[in-house]
Amino acid sequence: MNKSKLLLFLPLLAILSCGKSKSDEKDATQNTASTSVTIKGSDTVLPLAQKEAETLMLSDKGISVTVVGGGSGVGITALMDGTTDIAMASRDLKTEEKLKFSESKKEVEKVTIAFDALTVIVNPANKVSQLTRQQLEEIFTGKITNWKEVGGADEKIVAYSRESSSGTYEFFKEEVMENKNYATNILSLPATGAIVQAVGQTKGAIGYIGLAYETKEVKQLGVSYDEGKTFIEPSVANAKNKTYPISRPLFYMFDKTNANKVKPIVDYALSDEGQKIVGEIGYVPLK
Amino acid sequence: MLSSAATSIIVVLIVFFLFMEGAGVFTKKPIEDGFLLAVSPSNPVKKLEPSQIKDIFDQKITNWKEVGGKDEPIVLFRTSDISTYYTDEELGENFEFFPAKINELISKQPGIIAFFSDKYKAENFSGRELEINKIKVFEFLSGEEWFPTAQPIAQMGVKPLIYGTLWVSLGAILIALPIGLAAAIFLSEIARKKVRNLVKPLIELLAGIPSVVYGFFGLVVIVPLIQSTFNLPVGETGLAGSVVLAIMALPTIITLSEDAMRNTPRAMKEASLALGASQWQTIYKVVIPHSASGITAGAILGIGRAIGETMAVLMVTGNAAVIPHTLLEPVRTIPATIAAELGEAPNGGLHYEALFALGCILFIITFGINLLVELVSSKQKHKKH
Amino acid sequence: MKKAQNLARKKSVSQNIAFTIFSLISYAIVALLVVILAFIVIKGMGVISWEFITEMPKNGMTEGGIFPAIVGTLCLVGVSMVFAFPIGILAAIYMNEYVKDGWVKQIIKQMTNNLAGVPSIVFGLFGMALFVNKLGFGDSILAGGLTLGLLVLPVVIRTTEEALKAIDDSFRQASTGLGASKWQTTSQVVFPIAFPNIITGLILSIGRVSGETAPILFTVAAYFLPKLPTSIFDQAMALPYHLYVIATSGTNIEASRAMAYGTALVLIVIVLISNLLANALRKYFGKKVKMN
Repeated sequence: MNKSKLLLFLPLLAILSCGKSKSDEKDATQNTASTSVTIKGSDTVLPLAQKEAETLMLSDKGISVTVVGGGSGVGITALMDGTTDIAMASRDLKTEEKLKFSESKKEVEKVTIAFDALTVIVNPANKVSQLTRQQLEEIFTGKITNWKEVGGADEKIVAYSRESSSGTYEFFKEEVMENKNYATNILSLPATGAIVQAVGQTKGAIGYIGLAYETKEVKQLGVSYDEGKTFIEPSVANAKNKTYPISRPLFYMFDKTNANKVKPIVDYALSDEGQKIVGEIGYVPLK
Repeated sequence: MLSSAATSIIVVLIVFFLFMEGAGVFTKKPIEDGFLLAVSPSNPVKKLEPSQIKDIFDQKITNWKEVGGKDEPIVLFRTSDISTYYTDEELGENFEFFPAKINELISKQPGIIAFFSDKYKAENFSGRELEINKIKVFEFLSGEEWFPTAQPIAQMGVKPLIYGTLWVSLGAILIALPIGLAAAIFLSEIARKKVRNLVKPLIELLAGIPSVVYGFFGLVVIVPLIQSTFNLPVGETGLAGSVVLAIMALPTIITLSEDAMRNTPRAMKEASLALGASQWQTIYKVVIPHSASGITAGAILGIGRAIGETMAVLMVTGNAAVIPHTLLEPVRTIPATIAAELGEAPNGGLHYEALFALGCILFIITFGINLLVELVSSKQKHKKH
Repeated sequence: MKKAQNLARKKSVSQNIAFTIFSLISYAIVALLVVILAFIVIKGMGVISWEFITEMPKNGMTEGGIFPAIVGTLCLVGVSMVFAFPIGILAAIYMNEYVKDGWVKQIIKQMTNNLAGVPSIVFGLFGMALFVNKLGFGDSILAGGLTLGLLVLPVVIRTTEEALKAIDDSFRQASTGLGASKWQTTSQVVFPIAFPNIITGLILSIGRVSGETAPILFTVAAYFLPKLPTSIFDQAMALPYHLYVIATSGTNIEASRAMAYGTALVLIVIVLISNLLANALRKYFGKKVKMN
């Protein structure tokens, strides 16, 4: 008797907790969404995709967008498996990824939705205000370990990097370090926000972040790609006119057969309104 | 009834899945699937260690004589470098002449080491493919570099991660054990009942706070505190992890040792007091020795908790994969590595399997700790009789 | 004589010092708890409002509320409890009432202990390998809930067992003496008495489940999901993951800091309430059973 009561009671409790949410949900989305689209991938694109999804859904009630992070690779793998509609990526497809797509006979459409400039940041108390690519490489490969070697105070350099899972990690490695591996004693933090926080509170710190993440707590460095002849400040303007060397395109990728479904989102991202959000978030608009 | 065996079945399932996925690491080569490393046929070097290959591509080794070859500068070649040697027209619209050009390049450059997809390997390939061994268990455990996504050769050395995990956990227990013991003695021997009934549940509440909250607290409070106290270049250190873990392990240690102390027979305590020993002497000559195994069990269990803790540690230790020399350096632990990297590792790939292998190591460590606790506390039971 | 007195005084001085230190340490631990709680309450209090609890995140998760995360956590709790509770309770009853002491029981017990000691990230790995990939649930509430269910199973078994053990054997003997079968005794005598304590276990597990991050990282958690889940095959946001996300990422950390404190506060309140409730219940029923 009591046992059966209990067995009734337990699922009931669960149904209550979930059922309640269901009834609430009906109020929240009264116009039942007709299409639901998943965007998955790069953490760099994440804030942009999230905000665009948010505003798009305000104006178009017929669409529902889920945004999931994880990294560029996760998004692209999910696109292969068909578990996401759009993969957001902060890097181009790798050769092996291209091979896998062609093996599974999927054609991938790639749309550039914005550009991102990678900014090298240091603690505001740091005297150094510019570095060459060569110096950056030697700092992150561990050859330069003290700020006095690059014209700063006698202070140990503490280099922060993103986790190896991030597209930003790969991009910095390819673009700035010419494919050399990071030194083992580089601190790696799981998110860009954490890097800003750490560089802001650590005197000898250096790190790299997307332009969008820049705050007053950290100082941006000018970078030279011609061995110190000209140093370019990271800014939206410099990235737009392509004088700033460390910039990259951000992509939405999707299966060509799925193009109709994702069209509203891609179109919105490329529209004036979407590009305005790109600027608001801190990335570089296409035009 | 099947349900009674549920936990056993789950443990077996966990072991099965973890080890099945984890064992995959040892059936693979650390080079990416479908890729190869080739050198000129005239090059006497037959084999390179993974670490040598990494140093070559990092340009730390720049001459073949450093790895036992001829005195010949090393020329690096990655697929994307082809454009510096040949124009797009020469390669053909769909790279159909790619294989032939690589062939040509390898025979032309005696010092070359080329990394490319075997799709581009010509049928009459003139170069010599370097032998690459599968990853061995011993290398996996003793390797000192963790670059799971490095190209061309992934460096799968988990030694720094194991050390990092153990250092942080031991540090935590060194902090938590004396404090926990003091609190346990206070609660069981000194405090009045009223105080005890108030303080004990509060301490146990510490165990209820979610680990992300501890991580968050550690990130904004403990990390800056440690940096300024020890005047360090970085605050994200093993010590920050240890402090956070110590707080998290305290309730376990206090509860278990207090229970053990309160189980000391009253007659023993009274006999000690009657013989003229002070309360203090009674505590450290009678109560503590009698409850030693309970305290040990608490300490070991506390270590177990600390070793497996993920989120709090991920947020405060800095995650640098180096073998630490002091607790004041950044460290990277096994659970933090899994949490940070699993999201990106493609399913079924080498990196994915390596992370499962890390899970196996973690499982084995905690399993061993559990057995140890069982052993210690069964000893205690015998003592009681 | 004087020497002995001095010695005794010295002893009592050292004893007093030691005792003072011990009590100070204990109060320091309590103070630490208070500091952590106060820190989050003070910083988070300003954000908490009806809107914060009931609205969607807005403006790049720097404004608005955390409603979907709360709902997601509730759903995860629901699924994990539906899974872990029946199994856990049946397992405990069978172990305690039916299996005789011996090596079988020893092994099962050992396995339960081992399961309890498995780190939560390993559960995450396992959940990903089995539920997400092998069984093809994908990232879903089902996969995440089952993973969390496995995690709390030992807690459920242990608390149920303790509840059953606390019942005096005289009840069982009286029942069987009156001609009741073993099953009747278990279901109609033992179980009702143990029930309140079992509920205590349920509440404790709810607290545990709602605070775990590592197991849901790869089995269910979504960064941003504007609609509430409609079935257990949907992904969902969850409080602990949401806290992790807004504490460490987002382009405007300063703006989302406040949201992070608010989320931490909500999370802590849920977990602490369930702990305190369980404690209070345990005390209340503990007295009642003894009186019987």
